[in-house]
Amino acid sequence: MSTFTAYLRSRPDDELVALLQARSDLASPAPGNVSSLGVRATSRASLERALAGVDAGVLQVVEAVVALGPDVDLRAAIARDADDLPLVDAALAQAVTLALVWSDDDDGRHAAPGLAELLGPYPAGLAPAVAAPRDVDLSVLADAPRGAEAILDALTWGPPVGVAPAAAAGAIDWLVRHHLLTRTDARHVLLPRAVALRLREGRSHPAASRPPAPLIATRASATVDAESAAAGEHLVRLVARLLRTWEQTPPGVLRAGGLGVRELRRVVQTLDVDERLAALVVEVAGAAGLVADDGDEQPSFVPTVAFDEWSALPLPQRWARLAAAWLASPRAAWLVGTRDDGGGVRAALDPELVRPWAARLRRSVLESVAGLPHGAAPDDDAVRDLLAWRTPRAVPPASAVAAVLQEAGALGVLGAGALGGAGRALLSSADDAATAFDAALPPAVDEILLQGDLTGIVPGRPSDELDDLVERTAHVESRGGAVTVRFSADSVRPAFDAGATADSLLADLAVHARGPVPQPLEYLVRDAARTHGRLRTGSASSYLRADDPTLLAGLADDPRLSGLGLFALAPTVLASPAPARELLDTLRAHGLAPVAETPDGHVVHLAPQVRRVVRRDRRGRPRTAEEPAAPDLATVVARLRTPESTPRAAPAPVSTSGPAPRGTDQPGDALVLLREAAENRTQVWVELVGPTGRPEERLVRPLRVDGGRLRAVDARRESELSVAVHRIASVRPYDPTTEESA
Amino acid sequence: MSDGPLIVQSDKTLLLEVDHDQADACRRAIAPFADLERAPEHVHTYRLTPLGLWNARAAGHDAEQVVDVLLEYSRYPVPHALLVDVAETMARYGRLQLVQHPTHGLVLHALDPAVLAEVVRSKRTAGLLGARLDETDVVVHPSERGHLKQVLLKLGWPAEDLAGYVDGEAHAISLEQDGWSMRPYQQQAVDGFWHGGSGVVVLPCGAGKTIVGAGAMAKSSTTTLILVTNTVSARQWRDELVRRTTLTEDEIGEYSGARKEIRPVTIATYQVLTTKRKGVYSHLELLDARDWGLVVYDEVHLLPAPIFRMTADLQARRRLGLTATLVREDGREDEVFSLIGPKRFDAPWKDIEAQGYIAPAECVEVRLTLPDHDRMAYATAEPEEKYRLAATASGKNRVVERLVAKHAGEPTLVIGQYLDQLHELAEHLDADLITGETTVRERQRLFDAFRTGEISKLVVSKVANFSIDLPEASVAIQVSGSFGSRQEEAQRLGRIMRPKQTGRTAHFYTVVARDTVDQEFAAHRQRFLAEQGYSYTIVDAEDLEVA
Repeated sequence: MSTFTAYLRSRPDDELVALLQARSDLASPAPGNVSSLGVRATSRASLERALAGVDAGVLQVVEAVVALGPDVDLRAAIARDADDLPLVDAALAQAVTLALVWSDDDDGRHAAPGLAELLGPYPAGLAPAVAAPRDVDLSVLADAPRGAEAILDALTWGPPVGVAPAAAAGAIDWLVRHHLLTRTDARHVLLPRAVALRLREGRSHPAASRPPAPLIATRASATVDAESAAAGEHLVRLVARLLRTWEQTPPGVLRAGGLGVRELRRVVQTLDVDERLAALVVEVAGAAGLVADDGDEQPSFVPTVAFDEWSALPLPQRWARLAAAWLASPRAAWLVGTRDDGGGVRAALDPELVRPWAARLRRSVLESVAGLPHGAAPDDDAVRDLLAWRTPRAVPPASAVAAVLQEAGALGVLGAGALGGAGRALLSSADDAATAFDAALPPAVDEILLQGDLTGIVPGRPSDELDDLVERTAHVESRGGAVTVRFSADSVRPAFDAGATADSLLADLAVHARGPVPQPLEYLVRDAARTHGRLRTGSASSYLRADDPTLLAGLADDPRLSGLGLFALAPTVLASPAPARELLDTLRAHGLAPVAETPDGHVVHLAPQVRRVVRRDRRGRPRTAEEPAAPDLATVVARLRTPESTPRAAPAPVSTSGPAPRGTDQPGDALVLLREAAENRTQVWVELVGPTGRPEERLVRPLRVDGGRLRAVDARRESELSVAVHRIASVRPYDPTTEESA
Repeated sequence: MSDGPLIVQSDKTLLLEVDHDQADACRRAIAPFADLERAPEHVHTYRLTPLGLWNARAAGHDAEQVVDVLLEYSRYPVPHALLVDVAETMARYGRLQLVQHPTHGLVLHALDPAVLAEVVRSKRTAGLLGARLDETDVVVHPSERGHLKQVLLKLGWPAEDLAGYVDGEAHAISLEQDGWSMRPYQQQAVDGFWHGGSGVVVLPCGAGKTIVGAGAMAKSSTTTLILVTNTVSARQWRDELVRRTTLTEDEIGEYSGARKEIRPVTIATYQVLTTKRKGVYSHLELLDARDWGLVVYDEVHLLPAPIFRMTADLQARRRLGLTATLVREDGREDEVFSLIGPKRFDAPWKDIEAQGYIAPAECVEVRLTLPDHDRMAYATAEPEEKYRLAATASGKNRVVERLVAKHAGEPTLVIGQYLDQLHELAEHLDADLITGETTVRERQRLFDAFRTGEISKLVVSKVANFSIDLPEASVAIQVSGSFGSRQEEAQRLGRIMRPKQTGRTAHFYTVVARDTVDQEFAAHRQRFLAEQGYSYTIVDAEDLEVA
């Protein structure tokens, strides 16, 4: 009988590459050899992970193999009709690829060692096998009392244990008497395996599992693409506006490392969106690396240099960067604003919001939508049903599914609830997504209709240049298929602040306008330009004033005072960039007699300045989770083939009956041997280190390796032992043909 | 992607590009369910509102038609959420019906018992509904028919009123179309109103709303109560009805402060109806004095609050509202729609102008720079005094003088808000002055003299805002107004929009003090007209002097 490890070793390279591809946790870090690959592939954590990723069809195959044993005919056990056969074959192939099921030399099917323990006590709803099953005679059922068949029906497809209904006591007694049911305790009954199998006609499942096909509304692809492009463009705009705001007024970082509630509300106001979308915008900006904690003593969130690079990209690339970052982000942005177990509000950009499964969930949600026909717009429940089929062992919470769908809609990955071309492309690569997004964008319009009521309409998506002009000079009233704007004195002022003149502004508008610029608008621009800049500001730290202009007359030009940079604001006022203290001291040093005054003109006497410093600890920079680079799987497999290191010479056995030296002292390999032995119910030699440090070798039959302990039967001593695996120094297989049995 | 004329925004506005080939067809298709919000030169903005969609349902359009129209004319894909919203909103109409029950009288009948349960439980319907007959019917107090409809509208479950109208007392009225005939849009308005049963007709000033009223009366051929804003307007209605219909002077009564006649056709002023004596409305009996078959509300945008309440009791009678400017600064347009009825006809001003039924008008805002001492006085004035200070700036007199000189010989109105300013102006210009203090007889005399061309200048206060028919006036100069009232601005422009015999263009000037609240209010006042496509040219007062 071959073992799992031997099976793995006999696989061709491409199958191993496929395995490492399908179960990425096995490849990173790269295993040293096939044995340790076997260990890792049969560890509880890895198996759990693999099972969590399989769909209901594969799970059926695994259950059938576990429940019915090596000789199972999977097609007969699962498929109901000919249509089911391809499904079963495909599921089996998948299970084999994942090394959840393997076949021995005699073509017997086995589940990977350790898998059975993960499937619970009743795999496929069958009770465990008993040593000597009775023959089942179903013909007696013809005389069964009322209710007996209903009880059997309820238990047939599992779970086989049920609470005995008091009302049916007679029927249960009859069934128990005829060995069709057994009592496990006063209240529970169990359907014996043999009976269940007869009732099921030897099958493990009633039919092959198929993905649910709920009734799903469909949307026209033009609508989907238009809405996803509109949403995507909106999001890009929001991210840009957020960071343009933060680059000037960066918000502080909370001590726990997040964005405070008040700051988030400010974002809500700035962006004019609801709190949920504001949190998403902040999180997406963070995920894309466009904003980070600046690590200052008083830390703030500040746009990174990546933001400048991102801003310079064309719109589709900008979107694709954000969407890809979102898709891969391990953060659960939708939890922002909810309360954690301690009752605290979860903040945006809070390091605590990392949920390792979030990225997987996003991908599987999108993949399940992508699996539907084009234009399908499933609702939350339909998506959750699909996910429940795709990963029955790890069904995501309904709230998370709904949140992911909502986020996808806000990002424009979904449009009108359906996956558009760009969203679909995003699943393969960000570059494809950018190309698809570009195709979905309506053609840019370079024309604005200016009207006499001081409104303007861009009848389509404005070109970048026009959009910039509109943003600078007008108040946007609505965005959508078209952009409507209103001009006012307030809306054109920022353009003047940025250095435009009335003529340059009107020339810019005239270039894009269909027809001439309406007179009221021209007047508005000229009038705003006229009033612009009538008030002047400048900076000075201190001033010097005197009621008598002659006192000040010479001071501004006095070379001895040039260090103060005095300049005249008015005949009776000089200003200086130097602090008032310095001004006062310098003037006094030159024999003048100024006094300091408060804003309301009271004379004050400045006390000498003294300095103190507050000691504070520097806070650590937040870690940025970096995805490890994907290893080159082919290389990994090639390395697996290198000859395995020969185990060190086993220490002199204590037992006189020395076994053949073919074991291992590598802990990982030892675990494989133990698991395989448990699976195959064979005996192994284990070398145990006792409490005194003395090694002792015993021949045992392992029962289970679980939770860091080995449970095994020592046949020679007729006892069961349970030891921590770290006390096992080495394990060797026991060969009954060459070794003398115990 | 089609190349349609319509852009549907997700905020439920519809943008119609008017230069497009299909613009006219599209306009006709969306008019039944979308409200025209702005009609400037290139792109008209319509808005989808629940009320508009429900009115469309009431007029027999269903959601499928609305969606089809949007899809057909839209240039870009229509936002899916909007289509869903349209369907859901329209599906709410008519789940409740007001019907006449053979034994119980007026009954609210539900096609969906759950909706009725929700409505009956609402606090707002308390006192409006009577006994519950069964799961789907509940008695309605007949006097609360209007109030209930209003409440149901607010609850989002508008009732379909199938209870019909009382016929009213029959009285033969027909139009005498000798030497004139109804204009096509007037006929459409009358038909639209009659088909709908009750409702509001919106036509620009000078477009002949009285004729629409007369047409509706001829259709109805019943006794009619006409409610107008003031006595002068009442007399104009009477004269017009005598001229256009078979009605004689004896058949038309005036119910005003001066006279209390009740005749088959009675014209009453809002003021007399809302006069209270010892805390009660003493003239309410007018409403029940006859079995009116039709009630006409002139200048429905001015409807005072007490009339709203009285109108709620008149739901069994046909009601026609007439206005040029259904914008209210108090935002009660919705109440007008729910009590009088939905908008049955609306024509953009510029369309009527293009058809030649109203005079083309040129609007000019003259900006006056205040002298320094006025600016200082303004800068330091109390906030509540600022508008008055700016609006009555003395420099305006000279500007008005210039404008009057420029249009010498043309019939010119100078309109203002503040009496001191108007007195001063009248003296300055050597013109007659009409204010609220001027007697009705004196007003009639001056208006007649103005009509005949005997005098060419009149200074008037806000009494001339509405319903004053001065066909030959072709220049209006506005020196001050009641703050930012949009409809006042439009009504004032309306004074000069009767088509002129010589076909000349009307001129509307508004004189504004630069850099003051006067300028801000002016901008707000101009919005209605600007949205109707009237483009204001702005000139500096200094330039005017040079010219």
